[in-house]
Amino acid sequence: MRDLLRIKDLTVAIGDKVIVRKVNLSVGRGEMHVIMGPNAAGKSTLLAAIMGLPRTRILKGSIIFEGVEITNKPCYERAKMGIALAHQIPPAVKGVRFSEVAKALIERCGCSDHTLMAKMLRVDKLLERDLFVGFSGGERKRAELYLTMIQGPKLALLDEPDSGVDLESLSIIANVIEYLIRKKNASIILVTHSGAILEKLSRISKTHIMINGEIVYSGYPDDIIPIVTKFGYRKSVEILLGDSR
Amino acid sequence: MMKSELRTRALKALNKKAAYGPDIDISQYELEEPRVEGDLRAVKGKSVLRAVERVGIDSLKRTGYLQVNETAYYKLMEKALSKYGVKVMPLRIALEKLDLAKELAWSLVSPDYDKYTAAAYLYGGELGYFVYVPSNVKVPIPIYTCLVLTSEKRIQFTHNVVYVDDYSEAHVVTGCAVPHGLSKGMHIGISEFFLGKNSKLTFSMIHAWSEGVHVRPRTAVRTKEGSEYVSYYVIYSPVASVQAYPTVFLDKEAKTYMATIIAGEGLGVYDLGSRAILEAPHTSAEIVSRVLAMDRAKVFARAEIRAKAPKSKGHIECLGLLLSEVAEIQSIPVIASERPGAELSHEAAIGVIAQEELEYLMSKGFTEEEARAIIIRGFMSIEAPGIPPSVRAEVGKILDLVTKYAIG
Repeated sequence: MRDLLRIKDLTVAIGDKVIVRKVNLSVGRGEMHVIMGPNAAGKSTLLAAIMGLPRTRILKGSIIFEGVEITNKPCYERAKMGIALAHQIPPAVKGVRFSEVAKALIERCGCSDHTLMAKMLRVDKLLERDLFVGFSGGERKRAELYLTMIQGPKLALLDEPDSGVDLESLSIIANVIEYLIRKKNASIILVTHSGAILEKLSRISKTHIMINGEIVYSGYPDDIIPIVTKFGYRKSVEILLGDSR
Repeated sequence: MMKSELRTRALKALNKKAAYGPDIDISQYELEEPRVEGDLRAVKGKSVLRAVERVGIDSLKRTGYLQVNETAYYKLMEKALSKYGVKVMPLRIALEKLDLAKELAWSLVSPDYDKYTAAAYLYGGELGYFVYVPSNVKVPIPIYTCLVLTSEKRIQFTHNVVYVDDYSEAHVVTGCAVPHGLSKGMHIGISEFFLGKNSKLTFSMIHAWSEGVHVRPRTAVRTKEGSEYVSYYVIYSPVASVQAYPTVFLDKEAKTYMATIIAGEGLGVYDLGSRAILEAPHTSAEIVSRVLAMDRAKVFARAEIRAKAPKSKGHIECLGLLLSEVAEIQSIPVIASERPGAELSHEAAIGVIAQEELEYLMSKGFTEEEARAIIIRGFMSIEAPGIPPSVRAEVGKILDLVTKYAIG
């Protein structure tokens, strides 16, 4: 089966600083890939580059989505093709109602189960507020995930959906991610630093460890997560690479 | 004060420069004989319709008072409004018929305030609208008034007096406009509003001028105990210059909310502000402005809250968005307290569209232009309390237009 996303030898800079180095990654339809790594490993920049955010600069390599090279496409075109990014910290946009942005996305994407999604993510009461203005950590994550879901993405890029949220929000977010895979057959790349959400997810296809801009190890979650939890990233990579030799 | 004395004072003030705004030589304009026509159906000329459409009024039928240059039309809505006991007529007629009008006119704005008020007093012929809302009436429909300038090189004078009596509520909407393409003209508007005890007046004003028009409104509002005055002002067109600094005087337990939205463009000078004088305890004022500056526009966003009594409160919020390399915004908030025990605060900020917000919206599938439009539209969204939904919807349409202008 042809991959939904193929990244070949990708090197990305922000300004003059190279953040992501020679990354190769393939994601099939309906798969969930988790990218773990310490702070400043380049995880968020990799997602930003897949989304095509203007602040990223591709120095080398290519991104292919559904067989189409999108390396140089602007981000709004990628969004229309079915890629959606849930930002780690979405900006507060004063004066712009959350509901206005949601309505525009629902109209564009033809999302039919937006009411259910709003309920699942408990964002109903936030809809008439200005977008992310004065939202708590959990509210912000749930609202951003809602905007991602109503785009009906083929590929959802979830940047640290588990950071800074309370336990209740964490469970809600995990349920919605599972729903996205199970019911919507979406593919997901989930970035996490803490790994807090992983034990609540049952459908992880592959886990990657990223350090200093490179994916240094890829494997099955059951092989990686217990070791990372116990030894931390750098030591785990030594252990895992030693095992595989 | 005797009429002859006011006249003498006005004559002396004919060369008195205004405190703010470019000084305009009034003698370069032609005066027109003020006339009252009566029936709105007598209005002729597509240019009038084109002008009123610019301020969101799609039909003259809804207008309670229309003034085209120096001719007043007013009878169409008379019947609909008389159901509620509301009187709407040209001030000139009110001054002939009603003692109240005589008592009120020129009692808040002095003819010798500056050269523009002096000229309005001497040459204006007291055109403009007079609105009286009797006590204990909540007028459910907005009272639309429209002031249109269509002839070249003319001055339009207008003098408006509104009295909302005790325990009553009314919404007055005024659109001031010229048709596109008018190259030279001047509009001088005097407005005096009076609010009775525990009454409420919302006043929405939309301005759509052109490059060659100078505009000098002079507005003052007096509120009695427990009343509430809400104003909502939008200007979204080019203009040669506009300068206004409406002042609200608040009596015990009265409050005001004054919102100003300015979309400055071209070479225009926009010197606009709001001033509230807290004259008694338990008064409050909130002044909010949003400024967009494009092209070479120069915008002065003024605001002043002066507390003359304890237990009074005031807050000013002035936000500006600079959309051009050569435009300028000056935000000038003033808070002044003359008595201990008043709580006054202000915040002012001028910025550009945040790249982070643009990028965020683009990642949701909006083009850069769409994302800019969403942010600009949001920036201008001010929820003025108590503005009726119909007026809110009309202002919404105007703000959509402003957004289109702003993103080119």
